Amino acid sequence: MGLLSPSDVEYLKDLFSKEMQDEVKILVFKSDDKSKCEYCDITVDVLKEAAETDDRIQLEVYDIEDDEIIAEKYNVKGRVPTIIFLTSDGVDKGVRYYGIPSGHEFSTVIQNIISFSKGAQPELSEASKEKLKAIDKPTEILVFVTPTCPYCPRAVQLAHEIAKANENITSAMVEANEFPEWSMQHQVSAVPHIVINDETAFVGAYPEDMFVDYVLQHAR
Amino acid sequence: MFFVGGQTHIKDYYDIIVIGGGPAGMSAALYAGRAGLSCLVIESNISGGQMNETDIIENYPGIDEIQGAVLAEKMKRHAEKFGAQFHTATVVEVDFSGQVKRVKLDDGNTISSEVVVIATGASHRKLNVPGERELSAKGVSYCATCDGHFFKGKTVALVGGGDTAMTEALYLSNIVEKVIVIHRRDKLRATKILQDRAFKKENIEFLWNTIVKEIRGNGKVESLLLENKKTGESFTLKVDGIFIAIGITPNTELFKGKVNLDSQGYILTDENMETNIKGVYAVGDVRSKRLRQVITAVADGAIAVTHAAENYFD
Ligand SMILES: Cc1cc2nc3c(=O)[nH]c(=O)nc-3n(C[C@H](O)[C@H](O)[C@H](O)COP(=O)(O)OP(=O)(O)OC[C@H]3O[C@@H](n4cnc5c(N)ncnc54)[C@H](O)[C@@H]3O)c2cc1C
Repeated sequence: MGLLSPSDVEYLKDLFSKEMQDEVKILVFKSDDKSKCEYCDITVDVLKEAAETDDRIQLEVYDIEDDEIIAEKYNVKGRVPTIIFLTSDGVDKGVRYYGIPSGHEFSTVIQNIISFSKGAQPELSEASKEKLKAIDKPTEILVFVTPTCPYCPRAVQLAHEIAKANENITSAMVEANEFPEWSMQHQVSAVPHIVINDETAFVGAYPEDMFVDYVLQHAR
Repeated sequence: MFFVGGQTHIKDYYDIIVIGGGPAGMSAALYAGRAGLSCLVIESNISGGQMNETDIIENYPGIDEIQGAVLAEKMKRHAEKFGAQFHTATVVEVDFSGQVKRVKLDDGNTISSEVVVIATGASHRKLNVPGERELSAKGVSYCATCDGHFFKGKTVALVGGGDTAMTEALYLSNIVEKVIVIHRRDKLRATKILQDRAFKKENIEFLWNTIVKEIRGNGKVESLLLENKKTGESFTLKVDGIFIAIGITPNTELFKGKVNLDSQGYILTDENMETNIKGVYAVGDVRSKRLRQVITAVADGAIAVTHAAENYFD
């Protein structure tokens, strides 16, 4: 298909050869029903092309209906496409994507490939990591984005780093166009729009310490 | 497909630190790499700055038309090719008091360098009217490429009359039902070619000599209170959203009291882009100057680093 240009492929090969350490697993859940998932095919295709740039990237494609058991194991809740990152040992750090990570969002996929190949250590300040230790209940962070929003990848990245810091936290990118009802439910009309435990926490690109404080407030 | 990964291994010292990865900062980084200087670009978001909000750029010589985000990606890879490193973080504090400068980041890192290039650019200016803050992100937006999608089939207002405003109006007109441009004068400031295109669009309407007095709505934008400046008449306009493109304000909060600023907060430099502090430069939209465009931003970056290379490194 060639979603990545030859120069993109070269760039990724070079970057991964320098930065990756071990293997990384990417699980993607799709549906062949076009009415349910307009972007599933292209999501799988782009991840396949990315995976081809380095042997250590292992892509596993599952069907949301046929592979019910595994979908349940990862709590996919029928959302397609869902992308999940795992470390080489198969550890789930709660890093998710709902919808295609295209446009600017693809940058966070690359960051996650590198990060998970190194065991998914949270890249946060010591102060943030310390504060996040207090969270002892399941907490879900959703970052609603559009692919053309340049301020969104940073918010997604921070949310993902926060998930890596505490096993009770799950963080997901949600591509707003693909989940209109979900977006409507949270009245998303500007992005990045951050929802924590089903409540809108804030809208916009905030620095790390403020993001972490919001998570603490809403996690309670 | 664009991608801009943050660099993971950063050192605690570089020859040159560039704050901000817009076109000005990336050009500085490219020139630093070619001069054999180690260089770290610190960028809060993804590299590219305001270019990422620009649908199409068509006034960069030699490139008739390119998506802003694609040009951003190209500039980044170009700088990386010559050795520049990029790191995703926000600079929260600077110390320019010694010969070695220090920069503190929100991820806990502190980095030093001989030379600092400030390339923090500019942000959208606010209207400062009642309702703007309350309804921000509830129909009030400053970025059409970010939020335009949410107004498919709806009517939106676009405030402003310059290049950015017309670019945004044209972008929105391809998504929404109707764009109503609200401008306080009786003619646009935008470049002729952009004006012509906007006037030709059937779903772009204009309200001249009009200012926004208030943004109204219950939980989301529902209407605007407007005033015709000529007649003094007030009236309301029903809209589903309002995009504000009335100019920019420099990102210089961090540098107040550290380098000299002009009365509007832009950083003052000499012709080499150097501020009143030796070894501290300012380039691009953040600098006090006449024309703020990609082409002048990249020129500033080149001039600054060439001067720094000649004067602070041998
Ligand atoms: C909608 C729109 C359309 C435009 N159209 C055109 C056009 O067609 N042609 C043209 O030539 N120009 C156009 N411009 C103007 C052009 O984009 C700007 O002049 C140019 O981007 C300025 O570059 P810069 O590098 O100085 O600053 P910016 O592009 O503003 O970049 C500054 C960067 O610094 C980062 N930053 C700020 N503070 C910090 C911090 N504390 N720590 C870390 N990073 C920080 C920001 O995140 C940002 O990425 C347009 C602008 C807009 C908004």
